[in-house]
Amino acid sequence: MPSAVEAWTRKLHTYLGLYFLFFVWLFCLSGAILNHPKWRIAGFWNERKQVSSELKISRPADTSTLQAAGDLMMQLRIRGEISGEITHTESGEIVFRVVRPGDVSDIKADLDKGLAKISHIYVNNWGALNMLHSFTGVRRTDPTLHQNWWATGMWRFSMDALSAGLVFMVLSGIFIWIRRAQQRRSGMLALALGILALAGFLSIGA
Amino acid sequence: MNALDDALQTPPAAKEGTHARFYFILRNLHLYVGLFLSPFVLLFAVSAFLLNHPGIPLGAPVECQTKVMQVDVPRGFDKLEGMERMQQARQILRQASVSGEIGPVHYSDKDGRLIIPVSKPGYETTVDVTLRTGLASITERGTGFLDSFIYLHKMPGPHLANIRGNWWVVRAWTWFADGTAWLLIFLSVSGVYLWAVLRSERHIGLMLLAGGVISFLGALYAICS
Repeated sequence: MPSAVEAWTRKLHTYLGLYFLFFVWLFCLSGAILNHPKWRIAGFWNERKQVSSELKISRPADTSTLQAAGDLMMQLRIRGEISGEITHTESGEIVFRVVRPGDVSDIKADLDKGLAKISHIYVNNWGALNMLHSFTGVRRTDPTLHQNWWATGMWRFSMDALSAGLVFMVLSGIFIWIRRAQQRRSGMLALALGILALAGFLSIGA
Repeated sequence: MNALDDALQTPPAAKEGTHARFYFILRNLHLYVGLFLSPFVLLFAVSAFLLNHPGIPLGAPVECQTKVMQVDVPRGFDKLEGMERMQQARQILRQASVSGEIGPVHYSDKDGRLIIPVSKPGYETTVDVTLRTGLASITERGTGFLDSFIYLHKMPGPHLANIRGNWWVVRAWTWFADGTAWLLIFLSVSGVYLWAVLRSERHIGLMLLAGGVISFLGALYAICS
């Protein structure tokens, strides 16, 4: 008679796998494409479309950097993550970039003239898929970046949840296998091969 | 306990008809492929979390000693591009006993310097050659064990496509990284099949699958619409 712990581990293994199915597919597919920039579908940046426009704006009530950019985005009906620095030029312009998976908007707002120049760059769905893979609003190499859009935060949370889910799937899978006496030796071989292969890559630099 | 037993034993649907053999083969493949992939999945999951949270320290980088030695810079190095340049840079690295993936090489006639950045899991090395004297200053920096997870997560990646994979280890890793992606898709598809034949789990499984689809599409709609 199997223990309740084993039965529930197996159930949770299945349930989590089903819940995260599409998230796993997205990150696997986009990961494979990111690793092969010479694939035709990975050439989305060369096939990008660029559209420029000018729109009237009113001076933001709060001119502190992030608030002003947020106000301008509302006026221009642009949604997304403000990426990188928001710069104030000597001529009184606010320049910043807004990113969403699938499009990038470069905004140059002249507060004195009440005019904003916007350059939109659109990539195809493959491009959007790839951008989703690393759409976190933060970067280890740039500590000045801070996530500033709620949707980015939600996506980051999804990534964290998927990471935790995958760790659980791995550990629960190992637990389920250990309880199977028949496949213990052959399973040990498969697991050992995986550990040795990865250990080889991790230790090759040492 | 009926539902629990059902979850752990061979499902009735798999006992009947010609599906039995297919079911057992798939279940074993799911198990063995899953076990083999386990360490790789853990690596990608942990490194994804670390990339998502740059505030988590990876351990203090260790600055290693800088050594100086004489090297020969191949003639016409400055005229080369892409992989040809990497091959010649590799010759210089061999003289300096340095191995790893070569990054963008900086050659400056004006400054009289050649700088070769080299990376491998847990280490970054810079080989700085003074062209006039042929003296190479080699600085190696340990980046830590956790950083090696991030390194492998990002390799080979979308950038520097014309020079990426100039070290055999990165070329080999590309196979494993790809294999992890495709085999994880196989695991998820085979997992769905193995679940589908469990009659007692069908209702709750469908609800979770639907919940996952709604969350996934909802997130995509919020971000991309």
